[in-house]
Amino acid sequence: MKRTTARWAIPVATALFAALALSACSSSPAKSSASGPVTLTFWGTYGNGGNKAQTDVLSQTIIPAFEKAHPNIKVNYVDVPYDSLLQKLTTSAAGGQLPDLVRSDIIWVPKFANLGVFAQLDGKMPNFNTLAQATYPGTLSTNKWQGHYYGLPLDTNTRVLITNQSALASAGLSTPPATFADLQTDATALAAKKIPVFADSGLQGWNILPWIWSGGGQITNADLTQATGYLNSAQSVAAVQMLVNLYKEGEIPNLLIGNKGAVSTQDGLPKGNYANILDGPWMKAIWAGQYQSFQPVYSPMPAGPGGSISVVGGEDIVMTASSKHQDAAEQFIAFTQSSVYQLSMAKTGQMSVVSSLDAQEAAASPELAPYIKQLQTARSRPAVPDEPQIDTALQDDLVPAFEGKVTVQAALDKAAKDIDPLLTATK
Amino acid sequence: MTHVVPAVTSTRPQTPAAAPDEGVRSIHGRAPARRAAARRVAIPYAFLAPGFVLFAALIIYPMIRAFQMSFYDWRVVAGATSDFIGWQNYVTAFHDPIFWRAFANSGAYMAMTVPPQIVLGLLVAMLLNAKAPGRAVYRLLFYLPVVTSWVVVSLLFQYLFANAGLVNYVLHGAHATNGATSWLSGRWTAMVAISALGIWKGIGWSMMIFLAALQGVSRDLEEAALVDGAGRWRRFTTVTLHAIWPATIFVTVMLVIGGFNVFTSVLLMTGGGPADQTQVLLTFMYEQAFKYLDFGYGSAIAVLLTIVVFALSVVQLRVFRNRTLT
Repeated sequence: MKRTTARWAIPVATALFAALALSACSSSPAKSSASGPVTLTFWGTYGNGGNKAQTDVLSQTIIPAFEKAHPNIKVNYVDVPYDSLLQKLTTSAAGGQLPDLVRSDIIWVPKFANLGVFAQLDGKMPNFNTLAQATYPGTLSTNKWQGHYYGLPLDTNTRVLITNQSALASAGLSTPPATFADLQTDATALAAKKIPVFADSGLQGWNILPWIWSGGGQITNADLTQATGYLNSAQSVAAVQMLVNLYKEGEIPNLLIGNKGAVSTQDGLPKGNYANILDGPWMKAIWAGQYQSFQPVYSPMPAGPGGSISVVGGEDIVMTASSKHQDAAEQFIAFTQSSVYQLSMAKTGQMSVVSSLDAQEAAASPELAPYIKQLQTARSRPAVPDEPQIDTALQDDLVPAFEGKVTVQAALDKAAKDIDPLLTATK
Repeated sequence: MTHVVPAVTSTRPQTPAAAPDEGVRSIHGRAPARRAAARRVAIPYAFLAPGFVLFAALIIYPMIRAFQMSFYDWRVVAGATSDFIGWQNYVTAFHDPIFWRAFANSGAYMAMTVPPQIVLGLLVAMLLNAKAPGRAVYRLLFYLPVVTSWVVVSLLFQYLFANAGLVNYVLHGAHATNGATSWLSGRWTAMVAISALGIWKGIGWSMMIFLAALQGVSRDLEEAALVDGAGRWRRFTTVTLHAIWPATIFVTVMLVIGGFNVFTSVLLMTGGGPADQTQVLLTFMYEQAFKYLDFGYGSAIAVLLTIVVFALSVVQLRVFRNRTLT
């Protein structure tokens, strides 16, 4: 009995071992054929939040149009949820398994450019300058890192004031606040009805910078090398102080400091919990599904001493440095700037980055008009690799001012001091 | 009562049978005997090898790699050269107030969740150990939270502790508060909410371990204690607790380790906010590595967490080993 066990035991154990070892090695990628059609892998977040409209346009209109014009190139689009794309890009970069093209959030481009993950396009892509000059300067700047461009704008957006007209009417108001002064007056009127005049879900750059810029303040100098003297200027302090005063009076809910237990802006505005919010063009589609009777009113960011200035959001199209099909990838990048791509996506709420398409875009999608107008003055957040840390510094340093633990001046002094080294960090 | 000598169950060949066989081999040559001996030695290792390979590849290698990364300004891209910076990541951690807050929050979560899970888990186990109708159903109901997804229950508790959530509604109804507590906007109120989830989800697990241990409590001893006039509490402390002591040690050590490793509930209920007030070590580590791509610093935090958990486990085992119940 014992010897029988010994005879089968070693082969079985060896087979198990070999199977494990082989399965560990079997995931190496197959090399593409040099002569056959090239397949480009393209990662994006178009379907985030179950937005089928965008993935449908991509797979049924845009990609077929590109493949028809370029018979030797196939595009394999892979949809990745927005919340996992950064992690997926990171782990794929570590494992050397990146796609050819990525629809990247604008704030990630400098970081991955600095890491050598995204490929430089200026000076390499033949028609880069022509294509770049056709885009909005604010959106183009998000691709720049250390004097070079690592992508082209793909789609853009900004935040405008969105108002619940019924909430305003309940306090005897008829029009959304056009200025900082209007906002404060409206707040007093709405306080009687216990309706906060404004709500937002954080104090990061996306949230607070429209107020600072419209208040006449800055976050950094033009070279993006220093925040001290800009973020903590008198104008910046005054703009934030106005929000702090409203917050302390209960006219802005504590959703602003990041309380995840507060009613979200997405639900609070249509339900009439809040009178105004700042948000992007995608909200219309979300409310159309959930709050069909809600009629949002869109107007510019309330103007302060610095004007009506909002923040640029959106995505860039980038090519990875490890792509084996860079010529084909560059052709697809060029195609993303065409009217076919830009206007097809504009119909789904992804605004065009090509300024000459403004009129056609507004005619095809009238609801985008306020956003197109706001984009003319909108600014981008600092395009540096450590932008996510800058967001955290703004949030963490400003919360104590809203909680009344420190003065606004002290909070912005600390934020500027924390942000200074992040602007010049290159690791 | 007749004492029966237990039958020999070993498969080891008996000497009288083996001897002639060995004798034959010694006549025909030593090589086959050596091969047989080598095979006998190799078999256990051959069976261990697949498991060991998995353990080495998925546990040991990443641990060594993380330890190595903690001494570098790690560049995540494949093939990129990273700069060796010595202890700098550890120095950064020791000077980082958010690291210390995260450390304190992890400790607070552990302190707030471990004792209730032990006490309530044992209480429920004792109740469900007694013969009662519907016992199996109750056991299942108490164990259900353990097998429920952390993601689902974290979101559920976020709604329960929302400004306009059920907890505020009930507390207001009971005139305990004004119903306007903003649970998730302050450090300690949020930690209470997160701990409540941890306790609710963990009771079933400790209950199951205690239930298994309670099955092994000697009925003879319990009856003897009863005959001696011991009351319910006395029987519990002198007989039951004594018998389940090893299980209690196991539950405590595992819960302390689990408490320090709290992650999903914090990430989903507060995201470590507002303003990093509710960061715990794992959410802080995750943020450094996957949001800021600072894998060197993230790895240093992971190494420090490992050292703390390891040290705590050693201390607990030593304390429990040297302590006997009387």
